[in-house]
Amino acid sequence: MAGVTLKLATGLTGMKVARHPTKTLSGIYGKILRTTAKMPDDAAYRKYTEAVVRDRAAVVERAGDDWKRVEQELNSGQIEELIIQADKELSLARKMLAWKPWEPLVTKPEADQWKWPPPK
Amino acid sequence: MASNILRKLSCSLKNVGLSGSRVYQGLSVAPSVLSRCLSSEASAGAESRPTVRQHDAVAREQISDFGRYVAECLPKYVQKVQMTGTDELEVLIAPEGVVPVLTFLKDHHNAQFASLADIGGVDVPTRMYRFEVVYNLLSLRYNTRIRVKTYTDELTPIDSVNEVYKAANWYEREIWDMFGVFFADHPDLRRILTDYGFEGHPFRKDFPLSGYVEVRYDDAKKRVVVEPLELAQEFRRFELNSPWEQFPNFRDTSVIEDATTPAAEKK
Amino acid sequence: MATVKAASVVTRQVRPILSLTQEDSRRRVLALYKAWYRQIPHIVSEIDIPKNQKQCQEKLREEFLKHKDVKDIRVIDMLIIKGQMELKETVTKWKQVGHVMAYWKDTVNKKPTDFLGKFLDGKD
Repeated sequence: MAGVTLKLATGLTGMKVARHPTKTLSGIYGKILRTTAKMPDDAAYRKYTEAVVRDRAAVVERAGDDWKRVEQELNSGQIEELIIQADKELSLARKMLAWKPWEPLVTKPEADQWKWPPPK
Repeated sequence: MASNILRKLSCSLKNVGLSGSRVYQGLSVAPSVLSRCLSSEASAGAESRPTVRQHDAVAREQISDFGRYVAECLPKYVQKVQMTGTDELEVLIAPEGVVPVLTFLKDHHNAQFASLADIGGVDVPTRMYRFEVVYNLLSLRYNTRIRVKTYTDELTPIDSVNEVYKAANWYEREIWDMFGVFFADHPDLRRILTDYGFEGHPFRKDFPLSGYVEVRYDDAKKRVVVEPLELAQEFRRFELNSPWEQFPNFRDTSVIEDATTPAAEKK
Repeated sequence: MATVKAASVVTRQVRPILSLTQEDSRRRVLALYKAWYRQIPHIVSEIDIPKNQKQCQEKLREEFLKHKDVKDIRVIDMLIIKGQMELKETVTKWKQVGHVMAYWKDTVNKKPTDFLGKFLDGKD
C-alpha cells in the first residue's frame, strides 16, 4: 500500500496485525447496521448502537486505507482492537434480536426486594 | 452524547501511552484534557480533612449517566439503578436477564466491561427471594466499575454466565457451595470450598457460625470421623472496637440514591 | 381439640430445575439409584471401607428412603443434583475413607428417646 505505514506488530501478545484493517472494519460496521435495521425504530439500543457505529464508519470511510488516522481519531485502542470491539458488537446485536430487550419490564420485583437495610 | 459519556473518564489512562502500538514511525498522541478527568479537589475542606474521602461530582455524574443509559437500553430486565455513597453504580436486574445484561455490558461499544472481578452473594432470609447474586465488572477501556445484582431463592436456578465470562466458573461454584444457588448450564457445578461429604451451605444466615459437625481422627477406627458438634463453652460474642460494622440497625442509608431519570421511576 | 385449618392452595409459575413432571423426576431418581447401585461393587473393591456390598446396598436404600415423602418437584431435583455430585466425588475418589464411612455415622451416640434415658443423660 503506497503511502500507508506498515505496522510491524501490535505490541499485544497473541494479537496479529490485521491485513486490510479498514476494509474489515467497514465490513463489520455494515453488518452491524444491517442487523440493527431489523430492530424496532424506537429501540434505545438500536438508536445508540447505530449512532456509535455510523460515527466510526464515517471516520473509517474518510481515512480510506490510512489505519493510523483511524486509530488517532477514534482514540479507542489499536485498529485490531477496534475490529474486536466491532465483532463483539455484531454478535451482541444478533443476540439482541432474539432477546428483544426493548420490551417493557419482564418481572417486577417484590416490594421489599431491594430495600436496604432489610425491614424487620 | 451517550457514546462520549464513559470515554471522558478514560482519557487520563489512555494518553499515558498504555495502548502503545509498535509502529515503525514514532507516534506521539497529543495529550488531550488530562486534568479534567482527575478529581476536582477545589474545596478548602479537602485540605483540612485528608483522611475523608473526596467526592468527585463530575465522575459521579458521568457514572450515573451511564447507569441511566443502561436502564434505557435494557428496559426489559433493569429494575432499578442506584448509586452508593461511595460513587459506585449498581444495576438491579430481573433474574431472567442475567445473560443478556452481562453480554451487553461486555460487548457493547460504550460499555466494554471485559473483566468480571467477582461474583458475590447476599442472604437476606426475610425476603421472598432471599439470595442476591452480585456481579462486579470492570471496564479497562473506560476505567470504570459497575455492579449488577439479581435475586433468587433456594429452588430457583439462575443462568450461568460462563459463556460470557470464563472467570464465572469458579465464582459460581463458590456461590453454589456457600449458598445453594443452582446455576443452570454451568459446565461443572460442584463444591469448591467445603469438605467432600459436607452437608449444608455455610454462608446462609441460618447456618450457625460453629457449624453442625465436628471432625476428628479416631485412632480405633484409623480414619477421620464426623460427629455432631459439642462445644465445651457456649458461644460468646465480644463487642470489640473494630473497623467492621457492629450495629446494622443504625446504618446510614440516606446516601443511597436512585440514579434513574425523574420521569421514569423504575420499581 | 385442635381444629383443622384448610390449607389455602397457592400456585405460581416457577422456573424448573431439571424435571417438568412427577414422572420425569421419578425417572431421574431411579436412574440415580441405579447408577449408585452399579457403582457399589467398585466402591467396595477400590475403597478400603470395612463394609461389604450388602451393607452398602442397604445404606443406599436407607438414604433414598429418607426422602420418600418429598413431593415438590424442585426439591426432588435439588436432591438428585446433590446425589449426582456425591456420586461423582465417590467415583473419582476425591472422597476418602473417612468421607465414605461418614454415611454410616457409626461413632455418633444416639440420643436417648425414652424418659429415663433422657433424665439420666441430663445428669452429669
